[in-house]
Formats: sequence, structure tokens, C-alpha cells
Amino acid sequence: MKRVLKTLLWIAVAALAAAALATIALHRGEPINATWFVLAAACSYLVAYRLYSAFIAAKLLALDNSRATPSERREDGRDFVPTNKWVLFGHHFAAIAGPGPLVGPTLAAQFGYLPGTLWLIAGAAFAGCVQDFVILFCSIRRDGKTLGEMARQEVSKRGGVMAQLAVLAIMIILLGVVALVIVNALKSSPWATFTLAMTIPIALLLGIYLRFVRPGRVMEASIIGVALIMFAVVAGQWVADSPALAAKFTLGGVTLAFALIAYGFAASALPVWLLLAPRDYLSAFIKAGAIFSLAAGILLVRPQVLMPPLTRFVDGNGPVFAGKIFPFCFITIACGAISGFHSLISSGTTPKMIQRESHARFIGYGAMLLESFVGVMAMVAACAMTPGVYFAINSPASIVGPTPEAAAQTITGWGYPVSAATMTGLAHAVGEQTLLNRAGGAPSLAVGMAQIFSSTIGGERLLSIWYHFAIMFEALFILTVLDAGTRVGRFMVQELVGRVSKPLGRMNWYPGILLSSALIVGAWGYFLYQGVVDPLGGINSLWPLFGIANQLLAAVALVVATTILLKMGRLKWIWVTLLPTVWLVTITMTASYQKIFSSNPRIGFLSYANATTAQIAAGKIPAAKVAEMHRVIFNQRLDAAVTAVLAGMILVLLVEAVTHWHAILSRGRQPILHETPYVATQWAEGD
Amino acid sequence: MRATAKRLKGRLAELWQGLREWCGDAAYEKYVQCTARRSAEPPLTPAEFYVEQMDRKYSRPNRCC
Repeated sequence: MKRVLKTLLWIAVAALAAAALATIALHRGEPINATWFVLAAACSYLVAYRLYSAFIAAKLLALDNSRATPSERREDGRDFVPTNKWVLFGHHFAAIAGPGPLVGPTLAAQFGYLPGTLWLIAGAAFAGCVQDFVILFCSIRRDGKTLGEMARQEVSKRGGVMAQLAVLAIMIILLGVVALVIVNALKSSPWATFTLAMTIPIALLLGIYLRFVRPGRVMEASIIGVALIMFAVVAGQWVADSPALAAKFTLGGVTLAFALIAYGFAASALPVWLLLAPRDYLSAFIKAGAIFSLAAGILLVRPQVLMPPLTRFVDGNGPVFAGKIFPFCFITIACGAISGFHSLISSGTTPKMIQRESHARFIGYGAMLLESFVGVMAMVAACAMTPGVYFAINSPASIVGPTPEAAAQTITGWGYPVSAATMTGLAHAVGEQTLLNRAGGAPSLAVGMAQIFSSTIGGERLLSIWYHFAIMFEALFILTVLDAGTRVGRFMVQELVGRVSKPLGRMNWYPGILLSSALIVGAWGYFLYQGVVDPLGGINSLWPLFGIANQLLAAVALVVATTILLKMGRLKWIWVTLLPTVWLVTITMTASYQKIFSSNPRIGFLSYANATTAQIAAGKIPAAKVAEMHRVIFNQRLDAAVTAVLAGMILVLLVEAVTHWHAILSRGRQPILHETPYVATQWAEGD
Repeated sequence: MRATAKRLKGRLAELWQGLREWCGDAAYEKYVQCTARRSAEPPLTPAEFYVEQMDRKYSRPNRCC
């Protein structure tokens, strides 16, 4: 009887998921309530977790709870620490959830709410969660080996090198593009700049507290830090209202870019306990609070989604970034659906802390579902604002015009009415001089979040505080990605240069630290700078490049997973990882091809460079701007070369892997599986 | 009633411990317990452990995009 009831309950959840998905897919004309999005996502995730992840756990991976995990066999109280599955879920989620699932869906909202929402839900269930879960399982069976190590052992040495290079490439591009998101959110905003600047002395103060006053007391230090940051958000208004102080904190894009580059260098070279770690603690607390508040706010306010399901920009001429739904929607939304970067977390810290193999399902598959839910929340927040306002915030001046009047006229002409007075009024309401031309996703998401929060607490009066809280929240944890990523990148560079010069590879030799920090910061700083000076707004070029790099890494992870599963004799179920691999290779290759060779200058790097060269030759560029345009031409050609190298890397890895798969399947080679030998657990069931 | 209160207290204590483990407050306690069971060497001091733990944690990818 109980079983029948359970079955009926799951049928009801599946029916509700189908009904909600059909409603958001078929709805036309009138605005639709955000509750449908929450229902569609939550019920789909429940069904995916209950059925698909259980199938993967039982049939594909055959998880074995009688087998001792690395945290049991190698427990050392440092890296290998058996951890409660709920706590580890929290750790894992905090590690994988970055700005990507917030920014990507916000940018992809230019196609309308439908393509992005469907990709977020389906992509997570059938690709992203599968990748995280399977890689976590593979790493558990190999004592927590990294993706690069597994690629080297299980695919080939060349595969390992490809994986390591892919990680370094994605790291550099990622850091450049997230830094650009911060610059676009902070430029000409004294309030936001002051608030973010204040997080640095606050983090330093906490670093000293945690190191010398109360070592390791993270919770109390974080509570003090969060209180100070909230004060800084409020104090930012006083700074913005003071003409003398506002002038000091009103910075242009290039100045902010150099400030971030200097910050990244300092965070990489300074002791980690002083700046990086305390900032990360603050960021984790604020991230958890803000994401929970956004979900609660959407459930309480249940806003109307004003963006249509599909906009006219499905034709590929979108102002935020150019390119059609296929492949660019799937490149733009990376982290909320599938992110290669997650495979680094799934094969790093988490497998060393897991208590039971069966927990991998909840942590690997479940945490990614939650991240996807964050992406759906971001999509709702972006689509709940008037479409005209969304496009005014996210479109570069070179497309909509430099003044509020020109922007309003262009955007209204597209069929999304907005007036200059609306934009000016909204900017003043959130405490900004202007909200125009803020491509990058952060400001529009902050406006969406502020509107939802202020509908719950404070009304219009607190709109400006909520807006700057949201900007601070986004910028704070983007900075955390920036400094943690720069430091990891520094280690990778030191590992590489250490092969040429031994002292440079020593992690405690200061000249080596400074040189490698400068190299990594210089690399991402260059991408940041080119984004800041790009007349098309930077995001148009760099976000797709980041998406390609991230999906490339996901393809690497899935190729490694497929190889391991083939060696384990799971041919019957190999489609579980093979189909997402084929899909990722298809979108990565198509996007790469279009980004390099498209004849549309807004899409193709080379055609943009050629068109600009032709304009210079025809004398259409003012003499004062010719040198700047030559830099733009060089940058576009560089981006084309980087894209080609990334695509070439995945092709090399694919050829390696397919050759290997053929050898395994034709029995020409006895597969050698590099699993750690079976050791029975000594823990009682339920430990 | 008393049993319910006791159960609630137990749940809250579990939640509190989970929060401490999640944020890192309980890391040193776990390390000391593990060292006592597995190693003959004296454990690091809280400050030494904190610095060592931070250096290790931030030398590999631990924050995603």
C-alpha cells in the first residue's frame, strides 16, 4: 500500500513538472507568473534525481557501500576527513556555485526566457549533474586524483597534458571575463566602488583576527565581517552623496581594470591567510544568504515574468551578444547547466571527504541540481524586469547610442518600449547616475534582485540599498573567484616554469612567486583590458570565449569518464556520458567555427578585424582613433587564435580517446583500470 | 513533551555542529582527534594548523566560476 502511494506521489510530481514545463513553453502574449518556473524546475529536478540519478548509481556506476572510501583508508585530519553528507553537500555546493549561474542566464535572457530555462533544466539533469556525479565517483575510486591525473592514467599522457592546458586556458579566460563583469558593474558608481573597496580592509582585519587573535574561529570572524560589510553598503550612500568623496570613488573602466589587476597580484603573492581566505569566508556566508533570500523573495513576491518566451533576437542579432540560439545559448549558459570547471572540484577536495560511495549521488548529482536552480532564479530575476529596461542596461553604446534618448529610441524601435525618463528615474531610484551600457549581467541582475527584495522588505525606499547589496554580493564573490583562481593559476605556472628552472618552481621562493603571479595576472589582465576598451563592450567577444573554454573542459571530463566506464565494461549504458559528450563537442565546435569564421563582424573575430582594417583603409576612422583600432584588430585576431587552439585541443583529445575506445572494444588491448584496490569498510552501516 | 524537547535539542545540536563543520570552525577539533588516533607526533597548534590548512586549501581549484 505504502509503495503504491509512493508511486502515485511520484507520478503526481512528474505530471506537475510536465504541466509546468508545458505552461512556460506554450504560454504566449500575457506575462506569466514566476511560480510556474519554480514549479517546472523543482519538480523536474525531483524526478531527475529520483529516477535518472538512481539509475546511474545502480546500473552505470554500481556504487558499493561495502568499499572503504579514501576518507576512511587515508584519514589524516587534513585533506582526508570523513564528513557528514549534508555538510559535504554544503561544502561542494559552496565550491561549485560561482557567478556563472547568475551571469550566464541573465545574458541569455536576450533570447527570451524559454531557451535558457529549458537548457538550464535539461542540461543540468542530463549533462551537468551526470558529469559532476561520474567524475566524483571516478576520483573516489582513485584516492581523490585530479582530472588531469585521471586523464593521463586512463586516456593517455597527451590526454593528461591536454586536460592541464585546458584548465590553465579556462582559468585565464575565466578570470579576465569575470573581472570585466565587475568593471562594468562598478564603473562610474562611487557607491558600489566604495563598498567593494571596503571589503579589502575588512578582509585584512579578519585575516589578522583569524591568524593571531582567535585562530580558526571562522564563524565569529565571519559574523563580524558580514556586519562590517553591511555597514559599508549603507555608508556607500554617504560617499555617493558627498561630492568630494564621490569624485574619488568615481572611476572609469581602464582605472578599475588596473586596480583589479593590482589586487589580483597582491592576493596571489600575499600570504593566503591575510587576504584570500578571510574574503572567501565572507563571500561564502553572503553567497549562501543572498541565494537563499533570492529564492525566498521569488516565492514570496511571485513576480510576473515580463520578457516574452522568445525575442526577435533569436535571429542572432542580439545587442547583448551576437549569435543564434544554437550554439550560443548553450555556450552562454555554462555553469547553470554544465560546467567543466565543476569537474575540478569533483576530482579535488570532495572525493577525499566523502564517507560512503552512495553519498556521491546526493553530493555530485544533487548539488548541481541546486546550482541549476540558482540559474533559473537568475533567469526569473532578469526576465521580471521590463524587457526595454533589460536591453537598455545590457546593450553597449555602440549599438543603442550613447545618450538615454538615443538608447530609448533604438530599443523602443525593436519593439521593447522604454523611455529615457524611465531609465533616468530607475538609475536615481537605485542610487546611480546611469544604468545604461552596463553589459555583463551584474547590474541588470542586481536591478532584478533589488526589485524582488524591495517588494518584500522596505519598498521603493530601500531599492537603492538592495541594489547595492546585490552588486556587492555579486562583486564580492566574483573577486573571490578572481583571487583564488589567480593563486591556483600561479601554482600551475610555477609547475610549468619549474620544469625549465628549478628555483622558479619552488612554491616558497619569493622571486618565483612574484614572477609567476605577474605572468598569470598579466595573462588574464590582458583579456580584461581588451574587454574594457572593446567598442562592442567586451562581453560580446569574451563571454562566448569563456563559454567555449568551459564547455571544452566539460567535454574533456566526459571523455575521461567515458573511457573509464568503457574500461569498467559498462558499454551497455555508455550513452549516459557519451551523448552529453557528443552534444558538447557539437556546440563547442560550431561556436568556435562561427566565432572565428562567421562573415558577420559582430560574431566572427576575423571578419570584425577585416571590417575594421577596411574602415581604416577607407579613411572612415578618425586619425586619433587609428592606433586604438589597430589594437582592436590585434585583439580580435588573438581571440580567433585562442579559439582555434581550444578547438584544436579538444580535437586532439577526441582522436586520442576514440583510438583508445576502439582498442578497448576490438579487444586489441586489455584495458588497464587504475582504480585503487578494493578494501572493505570497517565502518558499521549508518556511520 | 520532555522527549520532544530532548529530540529537538538533539537536532539543534546536530545542526549547530553541521554549521561549525561547514564553515571550518570544527576543523581543528577533527584534526586533533585524528592525530590522537593515528599519529604518535604531537599535533600542531591551532594557529599553525590554521595557516597550514589555508595554504593547502588554496593551492588547488576550490572555487568555481
